[in-house]
Amino acid sequence: MAVVDLPQWLALAPALLLAATALVLFAFDSINPHTTNRTLFAGTTVVGALASLAVAVWYAAAGVGATGIENYGVIDIMGGQFVVDQLALFFMIVVAVVTALVAVASHDYLRDHAYQAEYYSLLALAATGMSMMAVSNSLVTVFIALELTSLPSYALVAILKDNRGSVEAGLKYFLIGALSSAIFVYGVSLVYGATGSLQLEAIAANLDAAGEMGGLLGLGILMLIGGIAFKTASVPFHFWAPEAYEGAPAPISAFLSSASKAAGFVLAFRVFTTAFPLEATTAVIGVDWTWAFVILAIVTMTLGNFAAATQENVKRMLAYSSIGHAGYVLIGLAALSTPSGDLVMGAAMIHLLVYGFMNTGAFLFVGLAEYWGVGRTFEDYNGLATQAPVACAAMAVFMFSLAGIPPFGGFGSKYLLFSHTIEAAAENTALLAAAAALVINSTLSLYYYSRLVKALWIEEPLRERDALATPTGLYAAIIAAAVVTAVILAAFGPIADVATEAAAAVVG
Amino acid sequence: MTVDVQYYVLLSMAVFCIGLFGVLTRRNALLFLMSVELMLNAANINLIAFAFYHGNLTGQLFALFTMALAAAEVAVGLGIILVLYRNFRDVDVTVPTTMRW
Repeated sequence: MAVVDLPQWLALAPALLLAATALVLFAFDSINPHTTNRTLFAGTTVVGALASLAVAVWYAAAGVGATGIENYGVIDIMGGQFVVDQLALFFMIVVAVVTALVAVASHDYLRDHAYQAEYYSLLALAATGMSMMAVSNSLVTVFIALELTSLPSYALVAILKDNRGSVEAGLKYFLIGALSSAIFVYGVSLVYGATGSLQLEAIAANLDAAGEMGGLLGLGILMLIGGIAFKTASVPFHFWAPEAYEGAPAPISAFLSSASKAAGFVLAFRVFTTAFPLEATTAVIGVDWTWAFVILAIVTMTLGNFAAATQENVKRMLAYSSIGHAGYVLIGLAALSTPSGDLVMGAAMIHLLVYGFMNTGAFLFVGLAEYWGVGRTFEDYNGLATQAPVACAAMAVFMFSLAGIPPFGGFGSKYLLFSHTIEAAAENTALLAAAAALVINSTLSLYYYSRLVKALWIEEPLRERDALATPTGLYAAIIAAAVVTAVILAAFGPIADVATEAAAAVVG
Repeated sequence: MTVDVQYYVLLSMAVFCIGLFGVLTRRNALLFLMSVELMLNAANINLIAFAFYHGNLTGQLFALFTMALAAAEVAVGLGIILVLYRNFRDVDVTVPTTMRW
């Protein structure tokens, strides 16, 4: 069946390629420490990310991790510490796409920055961590991948060392991140105490033996949810997000809000479906954990959208809207108690894929505005369309897609999420509330997204502006993201099948 | 003579809560960092006690990883606190308020 026989460990190639990219960048930097050849560094990162993307797509298409006679089956590496299945490959694709877009855009955004090689190697290392989060199958590897993502991210947020906003954002991100990772690892230690193992399947197998330690296990699971909520910027660990996204360089905001969020969710999907199967866990801890996610989903999306509606600063509005979108995706976990849980989770995965394009693009447009130096508020953006119609058209696509208006990608994924949630609500009426919150919040989000489009296209500028430059890298990344956001609906059927099958395989 | 595992859990929970209290009340970034270290070490106590209780080495091994990661986290954190001091002339975490919601 195989044309070429590859060793098992090469199933991790998408993540390994990103790690190799980081090392190559380090090598460039150590050979010539003072060079600021940003084309070389950005180019290397883009090549690495695209190679990772190509390999991940190839594996996914060739059937690595898919069951069935003609496919390769799920690949276990290092005694089940890592697992490569369709779910992992799906999210490796998302991470690689966002990394490539961000690297292309950073080329122009960081034109005067002194530490080019450091920036791109940290970016590649964080992307490696996110890719590893998709394949981690043990709480040990989960925690290491989580930290491999977090540590470079702290540094990246604070990388504009003389910019007070960037340093403040880095500090806040670091403090909340350190706290939540301490809570996460304490949760891991309690789960280990109750079950005696850290590998996810082994935890599931030992759940019934936990018996009298059910309380510890429940507390441990709650603490794991805390760590995951930080990574995905969900309530109750969401308050770093507006600060960090606003102060960070815009491409890094794009990277964190799209790729890091997606990686946090794949981790949540895998840990909760594999290690804590619903009936067995409920029998031990006495509570159905999907309830936690029902509540978190509703609170997160409501809080994110209502806060976004009151913002004057565009980047901050996008940050709160990113919290709102985390709430939508949390429904994917909340619905796992119902028979159609895999459909809802598949829809949540597609939403993360589409979100990877539309949200990255939106933040990169903010990066473009910062490059022009037009200011940060809605009023400062007034009338930009007369001077830069192409970029503003792309931004309109992102905004309408984020709001969920046809014919853009965001409509398709929100529609799938909504219709499957309604289907699942037949079994669990609490999901009806989640579905209603989804619709109400999407409607509300249309207000502030269209407000930005109105500012760009209809309002008159407050004051005269000089002619605006057209930086190639930023434009290329924005237009690429806009084109995919606009046409992805055409390919929605096959993507939905892949995502649903991947979800069904882990829920199964 | 061995100590029962529940006493270790009580100890680690006490250390964890002391750390959490420090995180919530301290305004100095360095003391905040120390409090987080306490919380991480509380997890290590748990991991090692439970490794003994369950009779496998997984927990001890993970405790080693946790220590290494905590060290890496402190390295990045101190770097950020250093640039914080250069920009704000202070390591009080309540001073940087250029952004407010």
